[in-house]
Amino acid sequence: MSEPFEPKIVAFVCTYCTYAGADLAGTSRLKYAPNVRIVRLPCTGRISPMFILKALQKGADGVLISGCHPGDCHFTHGNYHARRRWMVFRALLDFTGISPERVKFSWISAAEGGKFADLINSVTEEIRNLGPFDQYQQLIKETESPATL
Amino acid sequence: MITQEKYRTTVKELLASGSVKMVIGYKPGSTPDRRRPLFIRTSEEADQLVLDSTCMTNLSGYLVTEGLLSDEKRVGIFLRPEGIRSINILAAEYQLNIEQIVILGFDSTGRDVRPLEGRNAGDFSGLLSEIKEKPVQTSKEPLLERIEKMNAQERFDFWQEEFSRCIKCYACRQACPMCYCRRCIVDSNQPQWINTSSHTLGNFEWNIVRAFHLSGRCVQCGNCDRACPVNIPLRLINQRMATEVLDGFDHFAGLSPTQEPVLASFKKDDTETFIL
Ligand code: SF4
Ligand code: SF4
Repeated sequence: MSEPFEPKIVAFVCTYCTYAGADLAGTSRLKYAPNVRIVRLPCTGRISPMFILKALQKGADGVLISGCHPGDCHFTHGNYHARRRWMVFRALLDFTGISPERVKFSWISAAEGGKFADLINSVTEEIRNLGPFDQYQQLIKETESPATL
Repeated sequence: MITQEKYRTTVKELLASGSVKMVIGYKPGSTPDRRRPLFIRTSEEADQLVLDSTCMTNLSGYLVTEGLLSDEKRVGIFLRPEGIRSINILAAEYQLNIEQIVILGFDSTGRDVRPLEGRNAGDFSGLLSEIKEKPVQTSKEPLLERIEKMNAQERFDFWQEEFSRCIKCYACRQACPMCYCRRCIVDSNQPQWINTSSHTLGNFEWNIVRAFHLSGRCVQCGNCDRACPVNIPLRLINQRMATEVLDGFDHFAGLSPTQEPVLASFKKDDTETFIL
C-alpha cells in the first residue's frame, strides 16, 4: 500500500514578526503540523516571487508567505511593497493556472504564536485536501532534475 | 503617402537645423508587409523613410542603446501612441531624459496613416488619457475571455500547451522596449532561478517571470507577440496584468514621464481580500 499523501509546504517568513511568532509557538509548546519547512528572511519585501516559483520547482505542494501586519514592518514599509507585489503575482498565477489555493499569504506578528500554529494546521489540511500538485510534478519529472524537497 | 512625404520633409528640416542628431524610423523590409528600423543621419537617408500602416514595431527600445543619448543631443523617433507610453515609462524609470526625445507621432486605422500633433512627450498627455478611458480592442480579446472562463486546471493545460513550444530564444525579451536590464534574471546562474534548457517547466517559469516583470509596465505594443517564432500569445498575459493594475491601483502605464512605477510604490490602504 502506498503511503498516505503528506503535503510539503514551504513557508517564507520575515524574521521580525512571523519567525518570532513561530518561535513563540515553539516556546509555548504548541503542536502544529510538521509539514512546513520555514525559510527565514529579513523582510517580506525581500521575498521575491522567484522564491515561490523555486519552491514549486523543488516539489512543494503549497507555499506560505508571511510577515508583519501592515504598519508593523521593522523597515516601516517593506510589507506594503510586498502586498502590492503579491496582489499582482497572485493574479498572474491564477491566470496561468497555478491555483491560488496553493499559494497562501498571511500577516502574523511576533505575539501571535497561536495564530501561527493554527494557520499551519489549516493550510496543511487544505493542501492535503487539494492533493499533490500533479500537473507541476509532471513538468518537474520531464526536466530530469530531482525535486529535492 | 501624404503623411510619409510630410514627415520626410520634417525629418530633413530637423536634421538640417541641427535640432536632432538622428531620427529613428522605418524602411522597407524583406517582404512588402514588413518594415525595418532606419537610422537617419543625413538628408539622403531620409528619402528611404517609409511610413504606412505596416510600420508596427515599437522603436522606443533603440533609445536605450548604450551611449546613444549620453552626449545629451536630441534624437527624433517615430512612435505610435504605445511607443509614446513606453518612452514615458523609460523616463519614469530613469532610463532616458525625456527632453532629449523628439517625437514624430503617428497612428493608423486600416491602411490610413495619420500624424499625431505634438513633438514632446507632454503634448500627448491628453491623447494618452483618452486611450486609458477607451482602451483599443485587440483581435485576441475572445481568447482572453475564453481563458478567463476556464478553471485552474484547464488554464494550466492551456498555457502548458502554449509554453511547451517555447524554445527559449528570448526574442520576446530582446524585442520588448521595457526589457532593458543589462543582466536578465534568466542569464544569472548563481543562483540559477530558471533552468536554461527549454523544457516546459522552465518555459513556464520564464514566461511567468517575464510577465511579472512587465506587470504595470507593458504598453501592449505587440513587439513580443510578433517576435515570438512559435506564436505564443504573449501579449495576452501582459494584457491581463495591465487590467489587474488598472482595476487594482488605477494604474495605466506610461501616462506621463513622471508617473510612479506601480510596483515600486504603494498605498497604505491598498485593499486585498486574500491575506490571512
Ligand atoms: S511585453 Fe510585449 S506588448 Fe508589452 S511592452 Fe513588451 S513587447 Fe510590448
Ligand atoms: S519569443 Fe517565444 S519562443 Fe522565444 S523565448 Fe519568448 S516565448 Fe519563448
